[in-house]
Amino acid sequence: MIPGFGISLGFTIVYLGLIVLIPLAGLVLRSAGLGWSELYRIATDLRTVNAIWLSVWTAFIAAIINVPFGVLVAWVMVRYRFPGRRLLDAAVDLPFALPTAVAGIALTALYAPNGWVGAYLEEWGIKAAYTPLGIVIALTFIGLPFVVRTVQPLMEDIDKEVEEAAATLGAGRFQTVRRVILPSILPAVITGFALAFARAIGEYGSVVFIAGNIPYVSEIAPLLIIIRLEEYNYAGATTVATLMLMISFALLISINWIQAMTRRRYGNG
Amino acid sequence: MRISIKNVTKQFDRFPALGGVSLEIGSGELVALLGPSGSGKTTLLRSIAGLEHPSSGQILFDGEDVSNLSVGQRRIGFAFQSYALFRHMTVLNNVAFGLKVRPRKNRPSRAEIRKRATELLDLVQLGGLEERFPSQLSGGQRQRVALARALAIEPRVLLLDEPFGALDAKVRKELRRWLRQLHDRLGLTTIFVTHDQEEALELADRVVVMNKGEIEQAGTPVEVYDDPATAFVSEFLGTVNTFQTTLNDGIAEVLGTEFPVADADVGEGPQRRHGPAIAYVRTHEIELLSREHAVGIPAIVRAVFPFGGAIRVELAVEGYDMPIQVEVPRAFFEAGEVRVNSGLFVRATNARVFPQYN
Amino acid sequence: MANVFSRAPIGLRSAVNEGAITRVSLILTAVVFLALFLIMPLVLVFVEAFRQGVGAYLDALKEPDALSAMRLTVTVAVIAVPLNVLFGLAASWAIAKFQFRGKNLLISLIDLPFSVSPVISGLVWVLLFGSHAALSPWLQAHDIQILFALPGLVLATMFVTFPFVARELIPLMQEQGTTDEEAALSLGASGLQTFWHVTLPNVRWALVYGVLLCTARAIGEFGAVSVVSGHIRGKTNTMPLHVEILYNEYSFVGAFAVASVLALLALVTLGIKSILEWRYGNQLASGHRH
Repeated sequence: MIPGFGISLGFTIVYLGLIVLIPLAGLVLRSAGLGWSELYRIATDLRTVNAIWLSVWTAFIAAIINVPFGVLVAWVMVRYRFPGRRLLDAAVDLPFALPTAVAGIALTALYAPNGWVGAYLEEWGIKAAYTPLGIVIALTFIGLPFVVRTVQPLMEDIDKEVEEAAATLGAGRFQTVRRVILPSILPAVITGFALAFARAIGEYGSVVFIAGNIPYVSEIAPLLIIIRLEEYNYAGATTVATLMLMISFALLISINWIQAMTRRRYGNG
Repeated sequence: MRISIKNVTKQFDRFPALGGVSLEIGSGELVALLGPSGSGKTTLLRSIAGLEHPSSGQILFDGEDVSNLSVGQRRIGFAFQSYALFRHMTVLNNVAFGLKVRPRKNRPSRAEIRKRATELLDLVQLGGLEERFPSQLSGGQRQRVALARALAIEPRVLLLDEPFGALDAKVRKELRRWLRQLHDRLGLTTIFVTHDQEEALELADRVVVMNKGEIEQAGTPVEVYDDPATAFVSEFLGTVNTFQTTLNDGIAEVLGTEFPVADADVGEGPQRRHGPAIAYVRTHEIELLSREHAVGIPAIVRAVFPFGGAIRVELAVEGYDMPIQVEVPRAFFEAGEVRVNSGLFVRATNARVFPQYN
Repeated sequence: MANVFSRAPIGLRSAVNEGAITRVSLILTAVVFLALFLIMPLVLVFVEAFRQGVGAYLDALKEPDALSAMRLTVTVAVIAVPLNVLFGLAASWAIAKFQFRGKNLLISLIDLPFSVSPVISGLVWVLLFGSHAALSPWLQAHDIQILFALPGLVLATMFVTFPFVARELIPLMQEQGTTDEEAALSLGASGLQTFWHVTLPNVRWALVYGVLLCTARAIGEFGAVSVVSGHIRGKTNTMPLHVEILYNEYSFVGAFAVASVLALLALVTLGIKSILEWRYGNQLASGHRH
């Protein structure tokens, strides 16, 4: 019998409780304390609605953009050998490793009207920085590794014989990719999408510099929480936070559900 | 369909996987490619399929060179060792895949595809499992789905890579019998790869024994078993005792009896008739004699394994370093002379002797 | 020798590869995308930081507020990371080596901070210790400052970096099972000896990996600490917060200079991470094996 069960589990639960559960419970209690009508009033306040809607839709678009590019990058990393591949493979994790504030100011400088990229976009009449487009760009940056890193292991696991089987049955390369390879990594793609989406909804540091932060237009939900706090409007901050938590957990549950479904159907994977 | 393999070589990086293989396979034959791992048997099978491209040589289907046909154009049915089923498709969709990916002008209607796939599943005795996913099937069922899927494109030849490799012993035997019946019914030229000699000998019309990228011998199961052409085949098939011996004008002595050197093809120059040689004697080709007969070489019983119809006995023989293995009829064992430490005489009734070339 | 140079007849390719043109264009698209999207911002950080020369760059870093931000960031990480390592070891030991009810729930709860917005991770501490909170009078009476001070920064950082070590160790230790430990115990080792000589060596690279990611995040965290810090220059500003302040004051060289230090740390992190994955991939949780 291995010793240490009581002490390790005890420490785990106490630490988890103190650092995560009690603080989160405090938030939930606080919002419950507001009462339904107050909660509803703040939640339906136009500024709240706009901020949350902005966070959700920009995060969604960014995650959608990351699906084709993430799958492409994963494919290229797994299937091809070319000089610099390992370097690029490591660079995929840059958005994980780079502090969000650094990413935020760098992207802003890049896409500002006088920036390296922003200047070109300006010529075509596209404004990126300080508009929702800028938010989408920052969120795409943040989300890319989620799709790549979720899809990559599954792609590595694709049995070469399965592709050969498709070829012996007369499928062309394009048919094999479309009907065999892509469907078999679809669950990972959806999971990666959901992870990128969930992360992007709550993202703050990389977005706040490029967003412009104009109320009702380019003010994201996390920023609204901070603004409410600065106004000592705890009820407002709590309500926005609770709404965001609900969205995150809904996403979390759907990710788990997708994975459970996949496991049940296709065996492990 | 007839298949001719003409002097096919395959080079992987610097290591030769096939070194000039030639083989004729008749229409409707069931052929086993038998050999240890690394013998090139799978490379040969994959070359026939078009999954590998030979470095040189030709492969002909019914006299037509298929070297320039891609794997999809060759119309071969290939069953993979891992089955390689599409795990996100139902059993029915797996089987229907080959029909669904045909160009539109050759593609049967949806209803027709469904009907054909269902028929094939009935043929492989999996009717009723159409809507299952591969993960919900047993190993034997998966193998049969893989076969049905391969048959769906009406292949000209069926190629099976270690078809029973991943199955347990009982299922393996059942499936082996079933495959033989299926082959006899469809009359399709079939080639399968195996490292299991029992499987090859029992199932195939003809066994091709391979080693180190070359064919050692091709013949009926009886031919290769009774009349091995090379030292390798002698050692690879059956349970054999190996003896170091010396050739003297083409004759070698093994366990007190003299045997002529085997009539082997040595490739270059005349066969050597003098010098070191190696002799292979199967376990049932050694006689055990009790004291009264007193011919042969004295030996002492070291161990007895009294299971089954033939009893396996391990003996230490005077003048030989390694113990020898002998199979004796159960009746002989029951006569009571074979006990651990009892003294007996051994004599070889048959042996295959090959000169040793280094 | 002729065989070495021979190839498949023209027009043929391996059954499961794309043609050269497809391959090259896919690679190019991916490379260009990554270069534009990931590498360019990184390059820009350094270009902006050195815009007014090395002297200005070094001056910006030697500025007292910048130095104190660096000190504070290191202090926060030095407190938060070891505590999370301790937690990670305890949690993975309990979860991987024993069977108990509610284990899956516990694993989900450990991952919880990953799905909470950083801003909310800071907010919860404000609600707990802020002037409105129930604890507030007691804290004031005892002169304990949590928010807008080091404890708040540490707590927020701990919340955000909470799962990193545990989630590297748990899957690996579950994979490894309990046989090694049982063997050690049967040979007379004590529980602590078993942990120290058997379990820890088995997971050491995964632990290093987890600590690396945990530290990187602790140093770079922005949203959560932004909420609890109070933004007092030279006192409660960590490096990322200092970057924000300088940037908002249009002190771009200063902002990008501090940012370049953080970017450099990120690059070092990525380098070590890649080395761990390539060299010790088989000793990491299966998701990181290459």
